[in-house]
Amino acid sequence: MSPILTIIVILIGLYGLATSKNIIKSVFCVTIIEAGVILLFLNLGNLEGGSIPILGNVIENIVDPIPQALMITTIVIGSTITALALMLCIKIFHNYGSVEWKEVLGREE
Amino acid sequence: MIRRISLIVLLVVIFFGFLYSVIDLEAFFSTYGKDYFFANGYLETGSLNLVTGIYLDYRLFDSLFEAGILIAAVSGVTWISQHEITEKNASFMLDKQITPGLFITFSRMVYPFMLMFGIYVILFGHVSPGGGFQGGAIVATAILILYYIDSKKATSIDKILTIEKILFLTILAVGSISYFTKGTFFTNPFALSASEAVKSIYLITLNVLIGIKVSLGLVAIFTAFLKEGR
Amino acid sequence: MIELVSYLLQIILIVIAISVVIHKRNFTIIILIATFGLVAASLYIINKAPDVAIAEVAIGSAIIPLIYVISISRQREFIVLDRTNDGFIEYGFELSGEGYQILSDFVKEFDLSLNICVDIQGQAKKLIEELNVDLIVTKDNQTNQYVFYGKASSVLMTKLKNQVKDKPHIKIITLKEEKKND
Repeated sequence: MSPILTIIVILIGLYGLATSKNIIKSVFCVTIIEAGVILLFLNLGNLEGGSIPILGNVIENIVDPIPQALMITTIVIGSTITALALMLCIKIFHNYGSVEWKEVLGREE
Repeated sequence: MIRRISLIVLLVVIFFGFLYSVIDLEAFFSTYGKDYFFANGYLETGSLNLVTGIYLDYRLFDSLFEAGILIAAVSGVTWISQHEITEKNASFMLDKQITPGLFITFSRMVYPFMLMFGIYVILFGHVSPGGGFQGGAIVATAILILYYIDSKKATSIDKILTIEKILFLTILAVGSISYFTKGTFFTNPFALSASEAVKSIYLITLNVLIGIKVSLGLVAIFTAFLKEGR
Repeated sequence: MIELVSYLLQIILIVIAISVVIHKRNFTIIILIATFGLVAASLYIINKAPDVAIAEVAIGSAIIPLIYVISISRQREFIVLDRTNDGFIEYGFELSGEGYQILSDFVKEFDLSLNICVDIQGQAKKLIEELNVDLIVTKDNQTNQYVFYGKASSVLMTKLKNQVKDKPHIKIITLKEEKKND
């Protein structure tokens, strides 16, 4: 049940990305898709149960630690992609005068 | 109108495809990797936090490429927003707003605690949840609060970028020490029979270097945004 | 018990995602994105991953909204450089003058705000390309006309031309950018 609710979040973000009229709203939807994908990976690692992967007391079974190490990398890379995309948006505004997709694409020579 | 309906039909098809494949997941599972890390992780890496042990010892290669992507993004943002006009005595009318006194007082009170918390998260990354990347983000947020207090104190980006490049080369050098003691690259250089306190010197050094590098990169990105076109 | 809490938080996540897609003003979506990051971090802890939760809170709710606020507020201003010295725009307690009326009517249609500055030296063409100035207002002394310089590829210049068509003492010149070899 829990992976199904997560895939709904990803599909809502995908719908917003495909039908947005503003450039900045597309960047918002990319952030939503990325958070949903990370939640999906962590959910599939927790299906059997266990405890937090930090040793110290007497524990019997741990959750898989490899997806967590990869998802930390994913979060940092997602934030740098957002920063680069927004810098390009500022330059587009100063060159073309508006931030709507149709006006910017129709103006190209 | 036809476009929207076909888009919704496509999304529903993807949803049912995923539903069909998630029902029978037990056939894919195998717990070989998890049992290996549970049994030998503490002995080979020397850290109680297994996630830190993975991204600093077993898969240090991935962390190096992530640091490389941060350098590429910082250089991209800095190159797009540069300009060659050096007359900076222009004063724009909308920039003359004053921040309220409440913000300034609150930032002065909060700043030392945030800095201390960030350094704590970096240093104890191998014992409790935390590490280089997380602590670096917290220290970057603490430094960015200083821009509330005085928005003219933005330092030049050149010095920050030089320190960041030197730190990246230092991480590469520390990672390659293990070629001389164990024969392979990018792992813990101390022997397996040393005590835990000796083995954790390598982990603390790498965590501190990665933490400083990530925080300087994020501060450089934010400074490039503030100074763009002014 | 923990399962009920996790289902409730995931339904809140779906509601926030739907309202981000539907909303129209960009400034309120920033607060929704910060809340989205916090609820996602709580879900990461329930799935037994505390390292990922600290990273998501520090980056997704503290640094990303700062970058969004700066870039959205830079996209709302229209920078004008004023080089006439004779009262086309008057600076007193409140701005007034004929030029100010024309410009402020123009920017009010497009939901931008006017940012006027007076003292940058340099050539007109280089300033427009590099320093993001949108409009330069000068006065031609020989023909007694006001001359506006702007960019040729900008959508706003076309609309400005339509508005000052019936005023004979204002002329608009658009500069075209040369192609650079990259």
